[in-house]
Amino acid sequence: MKFRAKLVDAACLNNFTRVSNMIAKLAKTCTLRISPDKLNFVLSDKVANGGVSMWCELEQENFFSEFQMEGVSAENNAIYLELTSENLSRALKTAQNARALKIKLTNKHFPCLTVSVDLLSVSSSSRVVTHDIPVKVIPRKLWKDLQEPTVPDADVSIYLPVLKTMKSIVEKMKNISNHLIIEANLNGELNLKIETELVCVTTHFKDLGNPPLGLPKLCWKNVVEVDILILFLILEEMLSAFHR
Amino acid sequence: MLKCGMSGSQVKVFGKAIQALSRISDELWLDPSEKGLALRSVNSCRSAYGCVLFSPVFFQQYQWSTSVKTNDSDTISNLNCKLGMKSILPIFRCLNSLERNVEKCKIFTRSDKCKVVIQFFCRHGIKRIHNVCFQESQPLQVIFEKNMCSNTLVIQPRVLAEAIVLFTSSQEEVTLAVTPLNVCIKSANEESMDLTNSVYSEMFVGPDEFDFFQIGVDTEITFCFKELKGMLTFSEATHAPIAIHFDFPGKPMALSIDDMLLEANFILATLADEPSRASSPQSLYLSQKRKRSELIDSNSEAGKNVTSKDAEYISRKAVPKRLYSETRTNISSLENCGSPLTERANGDISEVPESSVSDTEEVPGSSYLRKFSCMFFGAVSSDQREHFNHPFHSLATASDSEEDVNNGSFSTF
Repeated sequence: MKFRAKLVDAACLNNFTRVSNMIAKLAKTCTLRISPDKLNFVLSDKVANGGVSMWCELEQENFFSEFQMEGVSAENNAIYLELTSENLSRALKTAQNARALKIKLTNKHFPCLTVSVDLLSVSSSSRVVTHDIPVKVIPRKLWKDLQEPTVPDADVSIYLPVLKTMKSIVEKMKNISNHLIIEANLNGELNLKIETELVCVTTHFKDLGNPPLGLPKLCWKNVVEVDILILFLILEEMLSAFHR
Repeated sequence: MLKCGMSGSQVKVFGKAIQALSRISDELWLDPSEKGLALRSVNSCRSAYGCVLFSPVFFQQYQWSTSVKTNDSDTISNLNCKLGMKSILPIFRCLNSLERNVEKCKIFTRSDKCKVVIQFFCRHGIKRIHNVCFQESQPLQVIFEKNMCSNTLVIQPRVLAEAIVLFTSSQEEVTLAVTPLNVCIKSANEESMDLTNSVYSEMFVGPDEFDFFQIGVDTEITFCFKELKGMLTFSEATHAPIAIHFDFPGKPMALSIDDMLLEANFILATLADEPSRASSPQSLYLSQKRKRSELIDSNSEAGKNVTSKDAEYISRKAVPKRLYSETRTNISSLENCGSPLTERANGDISEVPESSVSDTEEVPGSSYLRKFSCMFFGAVSSDQREHFNHPFHSLATASDSEEDVNNGSFSTF
């Protein structure tokens, strides 16, 4: 198994760091799946009472200037690694003013992901920082649990409003209730509702677009109830990862 | 007795010094003398010592008077003032707002009531007075000849700060490896660490990043990270570069800031290497019985409460150490020592007598033991004479600041 990649663009590094930060905040350990053209971060939190499972896909050529990998075998050309998410985000944090970042899979008494950063320091002499992040190689028999989740056919699909607005509304609502009701229809209308014994608060969004589903436009609504804290966390992380 | 006054911005630096020393231990000694006001702190396992000496020029006003005891040995009594960090740290907490609001700060002591009075004269006519009780206790002091160290680095705090970011707060120890070509700061390989779960980081820094770079001997020293961070935040407040003086592993290292107005020194114990290098003067063995009795004798006239604590400390901790290499010492049981170094340092308080390498005993079964050397501390005592007649040149001995000035080769902190 081999993996070696190099990242030289500052914007790409910034994005990669943000994605890594987002993962670190959502779960303690995550799976990194490396394949010839993609990098995936997989979180599968099979918590009984609902939990978050996440599948994040990065096209490697959007990030890395060099990318080489050799999987477990020719037919199974992928590498699945389990690591503590915070270790990666912390290592990337030190790479903020880097000239180049290299990541490779190494074996230093145990498998590691070695992140080495070429920093451009103020006094213009280059400084090299290396982090060896311990990882566990996930055996092939467990790969089936870590595949891309199939999103079930949707009845309603709607574009969310501006994330920042939605996040601040959800943030206020989370002080009042633990569950949030989301209602949406194919007319671009979305409601966020909380109901308690004392109060009922609804925020209405109109004129949101609907991505094409191939379904006839019917005026019925779909109602889903979610755990508000988790939704809030997801929104917050998506915002920090992608919003400039 | 002590009476001093400072402005708002001086209070900030003073407060930063207290905060830096609070990382070493929960107790602070206020030790005024005619050289200035020294703040001292030692950790409970005697593996870290900090002293910040503010010269009289630092203050807007500085008065110190001694009360001379009329007894035979003509002792000059120091203000033996030990404060709890818990009492004094909250007073100097929001330093930025203190700097803005405080016009003048006065500190004076009332030894009849064992109190230190800190008065803040703030804007808008507000006056805040803090009365802090102190315990009578003689301060400890370390003598460390930092100019005799073969390696000296002077670095801007910013560079060290960038290195610090690399390490997580769970990383307790850090290794500094130097060669004439470069310097490497890296995570220490601790035997007790769960290696499969922690990140190993290293950073190489070239010689041109240092203000002064003198490496006499290639070496790798490992020391506790926590105290380094404390020193770093203080140096950022004083905008002064940090000098690092060190030698071989096992010998304590010094981090110091030398400014016209103040002098700060943090002496940290470093991890000792294996005794395989018998020829080099790395003797940090504890010859317990012999040294313990020397410790006690030489301090017989000095402040008793400190010394007896030392002796107790040695005898209490000496025993369980030998198993260190075989078992993973329970960190939790040692944590009350206030420093992770204790698991190794227990009992290894040595005088580090360089001239007596050959006399030290081989510690049985020690081939896999890694030990810290601890510095030996003595109470600040005015009875110097017997100390300097002592056959050993101790690395760190008890001393009194006045007497020591006359013995030029040692610098006191």
